[in-house]
Amino acid sequence: MSETRITCEVNGRKVARTVATHKRLLDLLRDDLNLTGTKEGCGAGECGTCSVFVDGKLVKSCLVPAARAEGARIETIEGLAGMGPLTPVQKAFHKTGASQCGYCIPGMVMAATNCLRLNPEADIDEIKERMGGNICRCTGYTKILEAVEIARDVIAGRRPEGDLDTDEPLGDSFIGHNVRRIDAPAKVTGRLRYAADMKLVDMLQMQVLRSPHPHARIVSIDTSVAEAMEGVECVITAADVPGKDGFGVFVHDQPIMARGKVRHVGEAVAAVAAEDLLTARRAVAAIKVEYEPLPVIGTPEDAIAPGAPVIHDYAPDNVVKHIPLRKGNPEAGFAEADLIIEDSFSTQSVEHAYLEPEAGVAFVDHDDVVTVHSPSQNITHHRHMLADILGLPINKVRMVMSAVGGGFGGKEDMIYQGMLALAAIRTRRPVQLNFTREESLIASAKRHPSKVSYKMGLKRTGKITAITFDMLSDGGAYGMSSEGVMRKAAILSCGPYEVHNLQVDTRAVYTNNTPSGAFRTFGGMQAQFATESMMDIAAEALGMDPFELRRINMYRKGSITHTQHRLDRASLDMVLDAAETASRWESGAPNVRGAARSDMGGPDTRQPCTLGARIVAEAADLSQGDHPTKASTEAAE
Amino acid sequence: MNAITQTSADTRRKRGRGMAASWYGIARTATIDRAGAWAEIDDGGTIKVVTGVTEIGEGILTVLAQVAAEETGARPEDVTIGDNDTARSPEAAHAGATRQTYMIGNSVALASREARKMLFEQIAEHWDTPEDSLRAFNGEIWVEGSNLRMTLSEAVAICKGRGVVPVGAASFTAHGTGLHPVDGKGSPWQTYVFGTQVAEVEVDTWTGEVQVLGIWAAHDVGRCINPRGVEGQIEGGVVQGLGQALMEEHICEGGHPTTHGFAKYILPTALDVPQINCIIVEDEDPTSPLRAKGIGEPALVPTCPAIMNAIYDAIGVRMKSLPATPEKILAALRMPPGGGARITWNNRPAGETLT
Ligand code: FES
Ligand code: FES
Repeated sequence: MSETRITCEVNGRKVARTVATHKRLLDLLRDDLNLTGTKEGCGAGECGTCSVFVDGKLVKSCLVPAARAEGARIETIEGLAGMGPLTPVQKAFHKTGASQCGYCIPGMVMAATNCLRLNPEADIDEIKERMGGNICRCTGYTKILEAVEIARDVIAGRRPEGDLDTDEPLGDSFIGHNVRRIDAPAKVTGRLRYAADMKLVDMLQMQVLRSPHPHARIVSIDTSVAEAMEGVECVITAADVPGKDGFGVFVHDQPIMARGKVRHVGEAVAAVAAEDLLTARRAVAAIKVEYEPLPVIGTPEDAIAPGAPVIHDYAPDNVVKHIPLRKGNPEAGFAEADLIIEDSFSTQSVEHAYLEPEAGVAFVDHDDVVTVHSPSQNITHHRHMLADILGLPINKVRMVMSAVGGGFGGKEDMIYQGMLALAAIRTRRPVQLNFTREESLIASAKRHPSKVSYKMGLKRTGKITAITFDMLSDGGAYGMSSEGVMRKAAILSCGPYEVHNLQVDTRAVYTNNTPSGAFRTFGGMQAQFATESMMDIAAEALGMDPFELRRINMYRKGSITHTQHRLDRASLDMVLDAAETASRWESGAPNVRGAARSDMGGPDTRQPCTLGARIVAEAADLSQGDHPTKASTEAAE
Repeated sequence: MNAITQTSADTRRKRGRGMAASWYGIARTATIDRAGAWAEIDDGGTIKVVTGVTEIGEGILTVLAQVAAEETGARPEDVTIGDNDTARSPEAAHAGATRQTYMIGNSVALASREARKMLFEQIAEHWDTPEDSLRAFNGEIWVEGSNLRMTLSEAVAICKGRGVVPVGAASFTAHGTGLHPVDGKGSPWQTYVFGTQVAEVEVDTWTGEVQVLGIWAAHDVGRCINPRGVEGQIEGGVVQGLGQALMEEHICEGGHPTTHGFAKYILPTALDVPQINCIIVEDEDPTSPLRAKGIGEPALVPTCPAIMNAIYDAIGVRMKSLPATPEKILAALRMPPGGGARITWNNRPAGETLT
């Protein structure tokens, strides 16, 4: 491995290191200097979590070769405040509650600092543009932007510095009070360590061999060359699992590595633990797998077609779960209707895109307890499953939930902890696995794509008389949370409206696509997107205001839900009133009256964006690794 | 903007508004949910809380610190929350299902009350006053209507001097029931929340691009523990909903994913964010000690349909397949007007026209 000697200044101190020439500035900072406040969210210049200053200029350190640091002056998140008090930008982030999971926050603080260094008078549009290369998946950016404006005003002297440290006075309770986030200082300084930031003595690095096929039988796996490589401590496959293999939030249909066949592209087939990342990667490349391709199911319709290939033997019809709801008599309800509307709706597969890719560290402790640190959203269930998989008593498995850099449901599946635990047992050394963004995208669950066929009957008065609701969802290759997602989709299906006659069916089926799983709303948004679209179609047909139609049908105290649960209370009337009033909603039927409305363009809206108008001069600077935003397709006019 | 005259701008860029309502259940679905916690009122008037859960970004650590402080009389900054570790902390199950504030919050509230009760018993004897005359808040403890007052730190020292460590443990349960396998009958949750959002959009009919300029989001969260935290959840949920509405799509072609990175998988950035106006509605939950409900997931439910309804208001095109990308909007604009739904009237009076 060729190496380079690098001498540079980092956060005001001279440092010298000899590093492998393939390393990036990000690796030099994180691996060699232990400055883990700089994060790797994508490794491709697209997220901004790795932002640092090099000779005063903000760069994405994942795109910069380490050798470029030679002789340079580098400033990282750790250097902004140093040992002193937080900077105004950091304090403002703390004050407004701008950090949630915190994974994007060091990069955001760097980008905000850069913006205000370049133009201390930057207005909100310029701030947005200068921060447009940094992604945050948690906050919706609003409190981040608010923080940058506050910091700007403090730095410009327009606002007293003391404002950054003062909050609204405390009344007689902490409940309902805007107590500042107790984890914010650790996040705005980059001090909080996530799993990928952990370093243990003697720790190995894991890499995973993943399937290139959507559906194939594994004929053979030859790990001998990989195992013989210097620096390789172990190579594991499904054959090494000592206990009862299988995990899943509901049905345990997924082995920790493919067993006998692969069911989606990106499924883990084998894993290597080696002295360093490069050796592990080389060893993975040396594993030979012979596959025999099987017919592929690419859509849920294909999955339920007669004679479809079977993906899991236990489910010969490819159905993961079907949830039926029956209430009243839909046929009679439709007969009673003055108006019947039929339509269908579809939603896509969505990635959680938490900024922290999956990561974990496993080791076996002095009492033979197999310990896994990972950003798992469900350590309780993971412990149960892992104990079975490893064939160990439950108190010999210990799961620790490391700081989670965003989850949204996507970290409920135990897709890598099993491999880590197995390698730790085999090597008796700590083992770390950090996913790349590409791995995270192909190996983790997505939001269920779904299709809904809808039929709604209504009286002329607006009262709903009957609904049939049929949802078909692509569960992908493994069950994961599909069962629960279908259950919640069914329960919430017809919206917050009392419907006396209904027939609801939700089904998730296996395909050879990336598995679908838990994702914020768990089926609720797919179902209610269809219902709320139908309600507006109905309101237009009836010539009725959309709020009005919803009030006519809404749940009240004593209403019977779609699952025939009597509600003791319901607050829909309150939120309808609140949204209508706050938005100054102009009443009327939803009949394409946008051009005639007078309730739009108020001070509680933003101006449409004309990107590039502000900082065209520096466009060349920004282009380095700039995130291709959707808005950026609109050129300055 | 400069090159376009007012008239052509009027025909090119069209605005509209839409709304959508929603509902959601709190905590695990169609099952019993449970969470455990331990609390100790510690030296210096500080608090130790241990429960099997940690932050995934939603702000639960801060919420728990507020709850423990409120229940014990300490200050939030004096609360330390232990690690989430299956070998070191009681089970609190998973971080999801909009259950953190409701399940873990209530369990920490109950455990803190237990610890406070032990402390109050000792201090009541020490001051020779009835236990129910004691109050504690913000680091102090006192007897209502008297000038007996000391710091919580002093109170802990007295309590321990009497040989008692004030500790508490609690479990909180939410009683959902499973669904009947044939008709789905059941009581999936004991607490529900409702929300309504209004969206205001501008559609560029030349490029098909949609900008969301304003969102009004009214959500019932039960008793609100931390308003800024709730706003943060709503803002984040709205922007995730916006991403799903307009741009995000993970694509598999014949089982082969083609969206390999953020260059292909487009996410909302600061430039896409509307002004988000949060309206927090507090319909307190009478059945749980904290009277709070939740907001994590529900915040995102109405965003997509509100935006699609607003697009319809602006350009008369009903987007029924997400995401509503510029390509899909342009294609839909080339189709004949109308939503495309099949609408049938029964017993329609003569002369009435179809919408
Ligand atoms: S890690 Fe460098 S931009 Fe994402
Ligand atoms: S706080 Fe920005 S990604 Fe989580």
